[in-house]
Amino acid sequence: MNRRAFTGFVLPSVSVMTFLMVIPLVTTVWLSTTDLFLRDLSSAPFVGLKNYREVLSDPNFWSATRFTLFFVGVTVPLEMVLGLIFALLLDRVGRFRSVYLAAMLLPFIVTPVVGTLLFRNLFSRGGLVSWLIELVTGNLFVVDASNVRFLIMLHAVWHVTPFAFVAIFAGLQTLPQERIEAASMDGARFFDTFLHVTLPHLKSVLFFVAIISIMDSYRVFDSVFVFAGNRFDNSHTLSVYNSVEALDAKIGRLGKGHAIAILTIVGIFAALIPFLVRSYKEQIADRT
Amino acid sequence: MVAGRVTLHSALAIVVVWSVLPLLWTFQTSIKFTRDVAAREPVLWGYDTTAAAYRAYWFDDQSTNMWQVLMVVVLSTLIVGGLLMVARRMRRPAYLNTLAIAAIVATLVYVDMRWETSDQFEFFINSIIVTAATICVSISIGLLGGYGLARYSGKSGAVILISALAFRALPRFAFVLPFFIIAKSLGLLDSRAIIVLALVAVNQPFTIWMLRTFFLEVPKELEEAAMMDGATRLQAFVRVVIPTMKPGIIATSLFTLLLAYNEFLFVRVLAPTNWTLPVGIVALAGGESSKGITEAAAAAISITLPIVIVIIMFQKHLVKGLGSGAVKG
Repeated sequence: MNRRAFTGFVLPSVSVMTFLMVIPLVTTVWLSTTDLFLRDLSSAPFVGLKNYREVLSDPNFWSATRFTLFFVGVTVPLEMVLGLIFALLLDRVGRFRSVYLAAMLLPFIVTPVVGTLLFRNLFSRGGLVSWLIELVTGNLFVVDASNVRFLIMLHAVWHVTPFAFVAIFAGLQTLPQERIEAASMDGARFFDTFLHVTLPHLKSVLFFVAIISIMDSYRVFDSVFVFAGNRFDNSHTLSVYNSVEALDAKIGRLGKGHAIAILTIVGIFAALIPFLVRSYKEQIADRT
Repeated sequence: MVAGRVTLHSALAIVVVWSVLPLLWTFQTSIKFTRDVAAREPVLWGYDTTAAAYRAYWFDDQSTNMWQVLMVVVLSTLIVGGLLMVARRMRRPAYLNTLAIAAIVATLVYVDMRWETSDQFEFFINSIIVTAATICVSISIGLLGGYGLARYSGKSGAVILISALAFRALPRFAFVLPFFIIAKSLGLLDSRAIIVLALVAVNQPFTIWMLRTFFLEVPKELEEAAMMDGATRLQAFVRVVIPTMKPGIIATSLFTLLLAYNEFLFVRVLAPTNWTLPVGIVALAGGESSKGITEAAAAAISITLPIVIVIIMFQKHLVKGLGSGAVKG
């Protein structure tokens, strides 16, 4: 395909991304240096780096950063390990495969805010799990500031694991059966086969799942907002903190909100740049 | 081997319980009377059932006969499902698919006219329109872009792909506040169009990546042959390449469907009153009263059922999409 035809084909897509992503992004950078308020959008006085200084000295920002990193650090590995186990289990089963698959996919389909309510129902007064906890421990179970983080992360694992599972499961379907058979002919045990044949085959899938899950977990909003929104300040993630400062507080501070957004972006890119550079090099290498 | 198989199925049964239990629990909450929901010790068996919570969620008129509603919904689902099943076996199913869509629209119009529906019903209509529009726009421009990126070998292709990947990582707040300001100044706040636009934008990086990977699997010789016969590239693309892309289009549409139907933040910020279902349920579920709990449970089940039916119908495409579409990129 020549350059002209290429330009024609990608033009709609690229203009959507330019107008609706690049321009808002530039606007965000600009407005983060102004004192813009929600109730009066007509005046945006320039204040330099004041918003950034304020955010960086706000303990709530650091608390949100810590919880976000903790959230990503705990949930992403858990989701991947569980997803891998689920996929290996389903891969060995012949009968009822599609029934199992449908049931296991379910949490991924459920709308995140709805899923959060499902978990709230299980753990609220009269809920199944809170009742079981009371039976076992003898203590009343109440969702409070000390355990809401656990609930948020439990819901996240429930919701995202099917994504990891399906991607890994699909990856397993492309593993040539002969390689497994060859390995077992050589007398390899299940675990050795897994370590030396299956896992290397899944390397790129696992890498893909990890990157996507890190991106999505880092910006998690819906479930945290519903669980902890205006009740548990200590369990806000960066996105929820951003929302509270910019929109939900009595005085919606859009200037500060934009500064938080920029700092959040800096955070994710600090982690992703090596990966982006690597992917770029791969893309270039594919072309020559 | 029998022992191994028993272990395997037991393990899978545990996984299924873990996946399904939250939904089952809320389902049985949704059909209970408030007195049973309020009980300290959960009533697990033998409780009386009621559709009151569903009635309260969907209808303003509290004397609505829910049996009639159920019959209309079941009948409509059977007709639509039947049409789509037949369409799958046909070579030119276009008119059957159109008929299925017409049946869905007719059902919604009928329900709206026959009974006094609530705000949530409006949100449901909004959800359907926003989701359908997002899929159409997103996939149309994504097909063009994905095809260009699959067939062009210049460096700028790589730059676009990697930029798209970087955009994929951006948090919603990188866009939502500027969108809010722009929408407000243009008077577009509360319109469905601005939400569709926002969703198409955030979904575009993923769409072009996934469709591109599907295009890579289509042999170049296909369109080259058509172009030898005198077709332009665009004609060859529309008439020869697109028809082979059905699995890719379905898979990408399913992911777009999930994104649009489930979106909460954009709608909450960009639409002060004209909501979709996720914002509707959060507003509803704010309270902690027992009556509120059954209605929120009915809402949760009502929101989940339509999308579960769609995804299960196309389940294979979803798995294929994650297998071949996204991963190899």
